[in-house]
Amino acid sequence: MSEKEAEEILVELKEKAELMVDLAYSSIIYDNKDIAQEVYELEDLMDALNNRLQKLIFNDVKNDDLEVEEALVILRLGIASESISDAAQEIADVQLRDVELHPILRESLLASHEVFHKAQVDKSSVLVNKTLGKLELASKTGVWVIAIRRKKRWIYGATENTVVREGDILFVRGVREGMEHFMRLTKGEDTQL
Amino acid sequence: MKRPKWKKAEFEEIEYKPLNIKELLVEMKDISELIVDLAYSAVLFNSNEIGEEVRYLEVRMNKLNYQIRMMAMLAVRATDDAEKLAGILQIAEAAENISNAATGIVDLLSVKHSHPILPHLIRESDENLRPIEIYAKSSACDKDIATLNIGSETGVRIIAIRRGKDWIYGPGKTTVLKAGDMIIGRGPDSGLQTLKDFLKGKIEVLE
Repeated sequence: MSEKEAEEILVELKEKAELMVDLAYSSIIYDNKDIAQEVYELEDLMDALNNRLQKLIFNDVKNDDLEVEEALVILRLGIASESISDAAQEIADVQLRDVELHPILRESLLASHEVFHKAQVDKSSVLVNKTLGKLELASKTGVWVIAIRRKKRWIYGATENTVVREGDILFVRGVREGMEHFMRLTKGEDTQL
Repeated sequence: MKRPKWKKAEFEEIEYKPLNIKELLVEMKDISELIVDLAYSAVLFNSNEIGEEVRYLEVRMNKLNYQIRMMAMLAVRATDDAEKLAGILQIAEAAENISNAATGIVDLLSVKHSHPILPHLIRESDENLRPIEIYAKSSACDKDIATLNIGSETGVRIIAIRRGKDWIYGPGKTTVLKAGDMIIGRGPDSGLQTLKDFLKGKIEVLE
């Protein structure tokens, strides 16, 4: 029975699709082709995952391990995530084209309910050498890390085990009210999470 | 049966009105984020009402997309404008596609199945969705969302509030919480737990 695996794939599809949308918007705001490129790579991963999911489900149905209705729900949820990731790719595509971005784009993305920010981690910051899980950054500040630029390397979809290093540039999404606190934390001006 | 709000809105005539492209795009992006959370909530809590709201927002999104196309066409004066505005329309289209995907999730409400997979799916995600009731003894009562700093103190975004028979979708900073409200929060588990303790009056302040 592969239900467990199917659920794991579904969770991954959902999270990756959401990450892709965040990355795609960030790529526009920061006029950044690396991030847009990553959206394209994640899209390939999404296709592969969805393929795997569909095969698992069809096999389960064939072997009478899974009800048709349940299979339908799982497949449709997979397709929904896939469509969202396609939309993210469309957004990233605008960034990758050799056309200067219209200033309205950045303005409207910054005027939205949830905002994107980036900040470099100062060596005096309390965040240095701690994992995101330990810091509970999301629940303490309302800010989610979506990507990290470490020297020449990029880390996308950071997890709770990801360690923050001095000099990292954190790309984040979150509520407007939490951003100021977050910025002070990265600069070392505030040590209280 | 009452005619759903989205059906009424669907065939309303769209007249030309001068609108601001930036404002249209901001609304489209905000809807595209809210609508996905609402769609998962609808299926998770088996709520046709939230499902209706998703459909209504989808109709609204269609209209916004139509309007932004009209405005973009009028804004073109030269080839250069056309190139840049095409990018804006592509992003508007992406927002519309996201809302279509959300409608696809809501369609699952009509599929009868014995063991719901969604609670599991949401529980395993980094960000969880959870309904929380506000008790009268909580100090959150009669305060607005911004004053309470819910977002920055817990990382939880309130995506909808149920008040009596009504729903408030995508509440803003000035939305006031009332005793007896049921909110749907989206955020990390630890933050949701803190918020729950606060809204039930177990803790006095959020910090």
